[in-house]
Amino acid sequence: MDRHSRRRRVARRATSFALAALAVIASAARVAAHAGGVRGATRETVTVPTWLFLATGGAVVGASFLLASAVTDRAYIRRIDGWGRALPGAGRVARLLARGGGIAALAITIVAGLFGPTTAADSATVLIVWVGWWAVFVLSAYLLGNAWPTVDPFRAVARTLPSLDRPYPERLGSWPAVAGLLALVFLEVVTPMADDPRLLTALVLGYLGISVAGSVVFGVDDWFGHADPVSRLLDAYGRVAPVTHTDDGLRLRLPGMGLTDAAWIDGRDDVGFVVAVVFVTTYDGFVGTGAWADIARPLVGAGVPALAVYLAAMLVGYGLFLALYLASARAARRTADTYLAPGVLARRFAPSLLAIAAGYHLAHNLATALSLSPTLAVVLSSPLSPPANVPALLVPDWIGAVGIAAVLAGHLLAVWVAHAVAYDLFPDRLQAIRSQYGVTVAMVAYTMASLWIVSRPGGAPPFV
Amino acid sequence: MTDAKPAGDGSPTGTDAHDTTADPYEVPPDTTAVACPRCGRPFARERHRDLHLGVDHRDLDDDERAAYEDAREAETDELRRFRIVSLGTLVLLYFGFLFLYAVAA
Repeated sequence: MDRHSRRRRVARRATSFALAALAVIASAARVAAHAGGVRGATRETVTVPTWLFLATGGAVVGASFLLASAVTDRAYIRRIDGWGRALPGAGRVARLLARGGGIAALAITIVAGLFGPTTAADSATVLIVWVGWWAVFVLSAYLLGNAWPTVDPFRAVARTLPSLDRPYPERLGSWPAVAGLLALVFLEVVTPMADDPRLLTALVLGYLGISVAGSVVFGVDDWFGHADPVSRLLDAYGRVAPVTHTDDGLRLRLPGMGLTDAAWIDGRDDVGFVVAVVFVTTYDGFVGTGAWADIARPLVGAGVPALAVYLAAMLVGYGLFLALYLASARAARRTADTYLAPGVLARRFAPSLLAIAAGYHLAHNLATALSLSPTLAVVLSSPLSPPANVPALLVPDWIGAVGIAAVLAGHLLAVWVAHAVAYDLFPDRLQAIRSQYGVTVAMVAYTMASLWIVSRPGGAPPFV
Repeated sequence: MTDAKPAGDGSPTGTDAHDTTADPYEVPPDTTAVACPRCGRPFARERHRDLHLGVDHRDLDDDERAAYEDAREAETDELRRFRIVSLGTLVLLYFGFLFLYAVAA
């Protein structure tokens, strides 16, 4: 065999391996309908054995850690992290427009939900919440920057009311937001929230009621800064974005570099929130698998209410995720031979997980955002009686590849952020590398779990 | 890590101003830590302390400077070993998977 053709064959093999690796990581794109509501996304058919599929995904994350650890120049890492430009703040007019847009969207959501069509496909309520907000707006929060505090109509409504200004209980910290986020995803899983405009409207009104009540008791800033799950979620996603909020105004940084700053994570409760953001994706996917049906069937058969089984699975799963993450951070104390407190390590490494969460969110929602945005625009022109035929953009297949790239980019970004954080924490570069062992194992495990879910034939959650 | 913070000021919590009550260090009771003479940060090994002095503090005296240079040399040697091992692992991973894909897929 001549050298040329052999080289070409090797190259072909290598390319196919690289593509397989990408595809594997990325079919996690399809993992889990996600807390996105648009369930029933088609799942990739996997042609390699499951164990190989899982091993490849884990290996790609592990290999990217090894590659990142080859970068040992402190000054270079710091330069990448510190690069930035100050940006002018948004003008008053822009801010008023954003707030007006938010309030108008909320008003249309409620009115169309109460009096508009009851089918999901042409309901302005469903489209505003799942396409306009969950797909497009959340996407913009981590790709550009988080504008939710300005847009947030719930905050705007709450601001108009007087407040008792009771001191927010310090010890609760972010736990109410964790509970709220888990509750929202729980409701999304056990009810047809994405298909029933009336039910969705009830949820929006309920959320509005809770937000207003919380703000009246504790004050708007305390409530939305600590306890409100939606504000906290968007704030967390916004940390991934290139435009970040600092004390001196807006600042442009390299994407994801805001995650090396953990000043906003000031306790185990905030670590708990970050873990919850990562966990809900997995939960939403897991309850659609056959494995979950097998676990739940005997319990439901024995007379345990299905809702209780789902709730227990959520609490146990979340506890497990949190315990595993805290254990991986604690492991850094041993592997890096350091006296930094375990809590400090857990706090500093936690934000890196958000890059992964953002990657999965983009993969799940990009196609929805593109294909249904025209639908949303047309339905908004007449929310109460939408035209009979609403358009939808035909999304080309390569958009799936963008999702794949996003999942991969999220993982790589997370590995890099952990690397930069470790270099900031430890004077010895070997310490910095070794401190990441635990977090890397956690990331590998998370990838493999996500891939396992995606490799199962999925469907709607059973028994509910 | 924000720009406002001088590069590597030795504070492990960065700009973490909220959690000033909790001690960022936790030294196991039955061990003696090597403390930094400037900021008191405890370390498990002298090498970590020496490197910390060079990385996070200015104006070292001659002894500290020499200790830093030595520690830095040892660190660089160990880094080189780690790089060789990690390169080997990457090669193994790559060809291992190439082989697995050829056989199993």
